Formats: sequence, C-alpha cells, structure tokens
Amino acid sequence: MLQELKDLEPFRADVRAWLAANLPADWQDKMRGASEDEHVAFQKFWFRRMMEGGFGAPHWPKAWGGGGFSFAQQIVLYEEIARAGAPRLILYFIALHHVPATLLEWGTEEQRRRHLPAVLSGEEIWCQGFSEPNAGSDLASLRTRAERRGDRFVVNGQKTWSSNAHHAHFCLLLTRTDPKSSKTRGITYFILDLKTPGVTLRPIKQITGASHFNEIFLDDVEIPAENIVGQENNGWAVAQSTLSSERGLTILELAERMRVGFELLLSDAQSPAPAGGRLIDDDEIRRRLVDVHVRIQALRFLVNEMLMQVLRGGKAGVEPSIIKIYYSELLRDFTALGVTIGGAGAQHLQAVLMGGGNETGYWMQDYLYSWAWTISGGSTEIQKNIVAERGLRLPREPQPAGAG
Amino acid sequence: MDFHLTEDQQALVSALQSILQDHGELPQGERLSYAYHHSGLQALLKASGFFDAAREMGALEAALIVIEAARLPVLVETGASALVAPMLLPANEGVDGPVALIAGRDLDKAHRNLPIATTALIDLGDDVVVLPVAAGAIETVKSVLAFPYGRFRRAPDLGAGRRIAGAGPKLRQWWRVAIAAEAAGAADSAVNFTVEYVKQRHVFGRAVGSFQSVQHRLVQCHAIARATYYMALRAAWSGESVHADMAACYVQQNVGRLLFDLHQFHGGMGVTTEHLLHFWTYRVRALQAEVGGVNDAARSVATKLWPAPTVAQQGRLVQAR
Ligand SMILES: Cc1cc2nc3c(=O)[nH]c(=O)nc-3n(C[C@H](O)[C@H](O)[C@H](O)COP(=O)(O)OP(=O)(O)OC[C@H]3O[C@@H](n4cnc5c(N)ncnc54)[C@H](O)[C@@H]3O)c2cc1C
Repeated sequence: MLQELKDLEPFRADVRAWLAANLPADWQDKMRGASEDEHVAFQKFWFRRMMEGGFGAPHWPKAWGGGGFSFAQQIVLYEEIARAGAPRLILYFIALHHVPATLLEWGTEEQRRRHLPAVLSGEEIWCQGFSEPNAGSDLASLRTRAERRGDRFVVNGQKTWSSNAHHAHFCLLLTRTDPKSSKTRGITYFILDLKTPGVTLRPIKQITGASHFNEIFLDDVEIPAENIVGQENNGWAVAQSTLSSERGLTILELAERMRVGFELLLSDAQSPAPAGGRLIDDDEIRRRLVDVHVRIQALRFLVNEMLMQVLRGGKAGVEPSIIKIYYSELLRDFTALGVTIGGAGAQHLQAVLMGGGNETGYWMQDYLYSWAWTISGGSTEIQKNIVAERGLRLPREPQPAGAG
Repeated sequence: MDFHLTEDQQALVSALQSILQDHGELPQGERLSYAYHHSGLQALLKASGFFDAAREMGALEAALIVIEAARLPVLVETGASALVAPMLLPANEGVDGPVALIAGRDLDKAHRNLPIATTALIDLGDDVVVLPVAAGAIETVKSVLAFPYGRFRRAPDLGAGRRIAGAGPKLRQWWRVAIAAEAAGAADSAVNFTVEYVKQRHVFGRAVGSFQSVQHRLVQCHAIARATYYMALRAAWSGESVHADMAACYVQQNVGRLLFDLHQFHGGMGVTTEHLLHFWTYRVRALQAEVGGVNDAARSVATKLWPAPTVAQQGRLVQAR
C-alpha cells in the first residue's frame, strides 16, 4: 500500500489545494453556536460543494454518480479532510454510507434510481430506524409490527435513538412482519417516507444538552409493498449489509481527526497552571498527554492494518470491533484530559461547533459526547463479546446483534 | 473508629430520612432539568434544626446529614451550610445559608451554588472572607452539571466581608470532607439506581445485570461509593486534615470510572437527561474539580505523610543500608 500511497502524492496535492480554495476559512466561527437551520443549510452547502469538487461520495461507484475512488485514494482524501479541519458531513452520514450499502446489494433498480441520485444531489437526508425501546443490543427482539393489506403494509410501533430523524426525509426501517417467527426471522426491511401520515417524532434530550436523536412513533403508517428492501421476512440479512457499512473508512477519518484534534489539546496545555508555570509542566498532565499521543499512533496502526487487509482483498474479521473499542475508549480518555486541562472554565455550557469532529475544544461537551461512542453502533460490551467469541474463540455468551 | 452509628446518630438519620422521603420529590416538570434546588426542603431542614447538628452534636453527625441529603435527585445545599460553615466559624458568628464555597483565585469564574447562596466563604489562601451575597449581585451561568452555577456581576468588594485570618487551611479541610460526603451519598444513589435498572432491563432473554462483565464492574462502583462513605466519615470524625485530603483524593480519583460505567449500563438511556441518573452523577462530576481536584489533594496527602526526611533521619537511613 505504501507504494500506492506514494504514487498518489499528486492526487494529495490536488485535494489539498481544492480544500484550501473551497473550504470557507471562517466556517468554524460561523457554525459555533449556529442554529439547527443554519447547520442544515451549511451541511447542504458543503456537501454540494464537495460533490462539485468530485469528493462528496468517494466510495460510491462511478455508475451511480460517485467518485469510484480506489481504497488508497479514499485514505488520502480523508487524511486531507481531517488535516484541513473540514466539517463532518454528519447529516448525510446514513444517506452516504448505509443507503448505498443497502440498496446496491438488495434494492430494486427502481429504488436505486429513485433514491441514489437524490442523495447525491444533497436533497435527501436519511435516518436509521432500527433500535426500539426494548430492542437495542438485542436488535432481533424488535416488535414494530407491519401487517400486509394487499399491496400495502400498515405499520404500528415505536423506534428510538434515531439520529437526525428530525432533518431526514426517509428512514431505513426494520419491522416484524411475521409475529410467529421469533428473533431474526420474520423481519422485513422498508424504506419509509417520513412525511407519511401517522409518523410522529419526539426529540430526545441528550446529556450534552443537545437533541440529535429522536423517538419515532408509528401509528397506522401505510407503506407500499414496493418499498420493501430485499424480500418480505428476509430483513435481517438486509440489515447486516446496512450495519457493515458503518465499519469502514469512517474510522480512518475519525482517527485522523483525532490526530489533528490532539494539537488543540496540546496547545491548551500551554496555558498557565493555577500554581504557576504552564499546565504542561505538570508531570501528571505530561504523562497523560503522552499516553493519549501514543495511543493515537497505535490507533492509526490498527486502522492501517485493517485497511491493508481489505486492500489485499481479505475480510476485516473482528478488527472493526477491536478498533471501535479502542477508539471509543481512547476518545473518552482524550476528552477527559481536555476537561482536566480546561479547568473550571470547561465546566459550563458553551456554544457547540455544529458539524465539528469529536474533539472541538469545548472539552466538557466533547467528554460527555464521548460516552455515546461506547454505546452507539453496538456497545463496547457487545463488541468485546464479538472479539472474545469470534476472535479468541472463547465459548459463547448469548447471540449478539447491534444497530445504529 | 467504629462505623456503627450510635443510637443518637441513628435517630438523627432516621428523622432526616423521613423528612427527605416526604418532601424530597422531584417535581414532574423538572425531570428534564440539569439541576433542581428544592428551596422548600432547604427551609424545612433549617427550621427542623439539621443545620445546627455540627455545633450541637459534632462534625460526624453533620457529615451524615450531608450524605443523606445527597441521596436525593433534588438538591439541598447542606455541605457548606451544615458542615463547612459551622466547623469554620465561631458559634456566635453563624451565617445564613445556603452557602457557596469559592476559590479566591477564580473569583471571576462561575461558582457552584452561588445563585442560591446568601453567603459566600471565599478561600484567599491564608485567610477566608465571609461575604454576604446580595440579591441581584449574581448572574446565573448555564451548566450541564447538576448544581446551579453563577458568577458575580461585578468583582465583589471583599472589604465588605468579614476576614478570618489564617482560616484558609481549615476551610479547605472541611470543604474536602463536604465533597467526599456529598459524593458518597450521590454515588450510592446512582449505583443503586443502576442496579435496579440492570435487573429490570432484559436483552437476549436475560437481565443485563445477569452478565458477569456487568456485575463485576457494578461491584467495583459499589465499592467506590462505600469506600467514599467511610473515608468521609473518618475525616469528619477525626478532624485530621490529612484524612480530609485522602477522602477527597479518593473520590476525585475514582469518579471517572464510576460515571462512565453507570451511564454505560443504561445503554442509550445513559446518554439522555430523561432518566434521573444525571442528577446524581453530574453532581459528583462537579465535585471532582473542586479545591484543586485530585492533584492538589494527592500532593497534600504526600506532603503531610511523607515530609522530606531530616538530616538525622537521612543519616539513619544510610546507616541502615
Ligand atoms: C448517539 C447515539 C446514536 C444512535 N443512533 C441510532 C440511530 O440512528 N438509529 C438506530 O436505530 N439506533 C441508534 N442508536 C441506538 C444504539 O444502537 C443502541 O443504543 C445500542 O445498540 C444499545 O442498545 P440499548 O440502548 O437498548 O442498550 P441495551 O441493549 O439495553 O444495553 C444496556 C447495557 O447492557 C449491556 N449489554 C447488552 N448486552 C450485553 C451482553 N451480552 N453482555 C454484556 N453486556 C451487555 C450494554 O452494553 C449496555 O451497557 C444510537 C445510540 C446512540 C447512543
């Protein structure tokens, strides 16, 4: 891969120059404390700009309007995006990753034609409706009921933790169509238009003060049968495609952003210490800074190793789980150090950088938000079970399955 | 010391618990707040004489009051007015509560409980200033931590307060005991709340609390809460400043893992403010940073326990080798 990356130096220079020319220099000032509307508008603007530059959907096939980038090209691109401190396209996360992974493998030609171009035009924002109040780690116990009435289904139930559903137009929805089949059988996967009558959202208040996720209530919601993805009662297999799309290059971007974010931590550590001198002169702070710094490098090695395997055509195996555990625990310690360094000033509500990474320099918010990373996308405990059972081949605990 | 409560202490705790039970409920409309100071309950505890316990019974009894009150999701300010102020001020110089404790070097920053305080005790290093807080002098600062926070609109005139020379170390000592006591009560409630949750929450056909990986970590959380309780009681009972340092150091060191595990075991619920847990954990988190945090507390322990050896001691060491 090293040679391949070296050969991409001209490409890297192009990306860097493009970002320098196109990324509004004051975007962070504008988006710090921005309203939801301003945030949405800016995400749209930046996504369209990235699409014009040819960088908005690097992993999508060319045939569907994407970049068709090689793996190595994507690595370079995300390194440069992180380096430039460009916004995370957080509102398009599901639309850009989960939607193509699902529709390209299972969708009908009609579904692809209806939605994939609309996503790339920036018009369609998507959310994921997998988790329910009583189905999170144990996703297969989901109960939202869909009943067939001719060529339509009537859906009743409740979804929860649906990120950005309040901005979304469509939802990847998992329902139970055969109540007699238990667990992974009898599940059907739908595309749900969120404007359908009977869909109600309630924002959930998070520990950081924001409300980025929602409950979705479904009361006699009618979905046409043509919106089934895959086959009736075969939704579990489709959902696996959706879930596996979460564990690819996104972690590379996050690892790179963390490397850049560390500079922020380091510069805050230069501030005066209460007892005189600078904070970084304190042995304890120094030791923790080094600990975080070394672990960021180790994270990058883990990610590189996984990417190399995939690049060589291998399967990623349990590496994504290991990396998720490693990243989320590191993020927690990183941001906790930020709170220590921030002192009393880090304790109070400040304006949040909308569309920022996980290390924004508003350390208390970053710290509290880091707790979400050990839960969302399959909790740390579930990931550890996966590694223990499939990696270390230890005897099994109950069947794990995770969502969102 | 014997941690078994005496009959008098037992009676005090029971009397307090029954008042807290009857009057300490969180109003429905406040469930999504970050902090809710229950002024009615505060007044009731004062009228019932609980704030006089330190003087009439002793510091240990006052610490028990702080611990019990901290078990509630609602906030009543007891640490400073039931424990720190009475231990610091002569009996005839009692102050009105609620009381805010303030690090003088951060005077311009936001301080815990300042918006509800009628008196501030300001730590100037060597001396302490007892400053009445005028209504209107404070602006509230928004915080996610589960206390009201506020700052002085204008730099306060410290000359207007009563200056107590040389009281700084004593203030910091009792402040640390109050931190440990308040954290002990809140941590215990947070652990119990989580234990109940994992018993009820089922995944894969069994209770979350039936997984040993969850059990082991909850046991550690429980041990942290219990140890904090004992450390706080010992420091209150002995009146030794190094015990106060140890109690604060212990809890401030361990808060991180406590908070993380308790929220983690709530799954998605744990990252919302819709489930009461944060009323306790965010309070403990706020206490983690005070009186210089774990760093200052640990340094203080080390300095007091292991001062640099004298020349004579050093000589003996060399000989012994
Ligand atoms: C920020 C955020 C965004 C999210 N976005 C979405 C979204 O867009 N769409 C969506 O559908 N979902 C989303 N989720 C939901 C997420 O997938 C679930 O929260 C997650 O799967 C955990 O489920 P739960 O909350 O029900 O916790 P539970 O499954 O109830 O877990 C409770 C605790 O038990 C532990 N546990 C469970 N099983 C085991 C075991 N076998 N061994 C040991 N411990 C165990 C868990 O690790 C956890 O600590 C989001 C969650 C978060 C936090």
